[in-house]
Amino acid sequence: MWREALDKNMKILVVDDFSTMRRIVRNLLVELGFSNPLIQEAATTARTQSMLRSQPFDLVVTDWNMPNMTGIDLLKAIRAEASLKGLPVLMVTAENNRDQIIAAAQAGVNGYIVKPFTAVTLKEKLTKIFERIAAGGVAA
Amino acid sequence: MNAAAPALAMDKDLPTELRELLNSPNGAEFEQALDAIVRQREQHMFRALGQLARDLHDAVRRLGTDLAQDGFPGNVADARQYLQDALEMSANAAHRTIDFAERMRPQAEALTINAAEMLKWSQDNEPSAVLARESVMFAEGCREGLAELVVAQSWQDLTGQRIKKVDNFIGSVESTLLELVRLTGALAGSDLPASAAKVSSQEEADRLLSEFGF
Repeated sequence: MWREALDKNMKILVVDDFSTMRRIVRNLLVELGFSNPLIQEAATTARTQSMLRSQPFDLVVTDWNMPNMTGIDLLKAIRAEASLKGLPVLMVTAENNRDQIIAAAQAGVNGYIVKPFTAVTLKEKLTKIFERIAAGGVAA
Repeated sequence: MNAAAPALAMDKDLPTELRELLNSPNGAEFEQALDAIVRQREQHMFRALGQLARDLHDAVRRLGTDLAQDGFPGNVADARQYLQDALEMSANAAHRTIDFAERMRPQAEALTINAAEMLKWSQDNEPSAVLARESVMFAEGCREGLAELVVAQSWQDLTGQRIKKVDNFIGSVESTLLELVRLTGALAGSDLPASAAKVSSQEEADRLLSEFGF
């Protein structure tokens, strides 16, 4: 059912400064049926920004805790850029912090997921994000 | 004025030098003497401050030496390197585990497909059918287990975040200690080494510490 709701051929950018976490997220996405070659990775927010400007993506899955620029700042930068402001962003964080969740929601995050998480949780969040977008809503 | 001065001069509690000074008709002499008293007091204060600074410097130096001698690992740079090593080793271990899972998962999927195909051509109670059914279950279990194995590697990210926090904390303790050494060294009267003005690398930090006797 859910696989029909999600476009398996979407281009996804996974952002995390830890290479293990990027790989885990990629594995989970592949397990959910997304196409492995269409998933790309970025280790820094600076690299993320240049990648987002040079090619189209359908979804960004980003970590919160990163050096130099945090995930929330990246989210704000994406929302501030005219060509990217509608891009769905799923925030991944190790902390289930109420203030962080509120800050992310206010900055226009589409989904928020706490590490460690399973494929089932990821599937739920992604389905919800794209159902909302299909219904015309944007932020969570 | 003339009436007040003798009254003060009569005060037996005043030190002799001050009493004489107050009675002196020479204004310049009065100021000189006053300056001398103030200077004397200042010197006492500066000596006390200097002693305090030297004591503080010694205490900080002892702390630095203790850190270098008693603890294991031997010094701050080593400690931070050990943390970096742990981070790197854990990342390598997690990657090796994921490598294994990624290698095995297609094999499990192939076994599921092949066993299912075999079931189509076997009678229900044939030994090959029993084996095929077992194979499908085993392969499915493997596939799920391998997926869980991958997710379980999140420990590396979660512990790594903490290791990074501890590393940053040690870094800030180190720079605070360096600043304290620099300040107490300057207060204690040591000549401030030129390198103390700006410390940006580990080498500079080590050199500065050695110049202050660490």
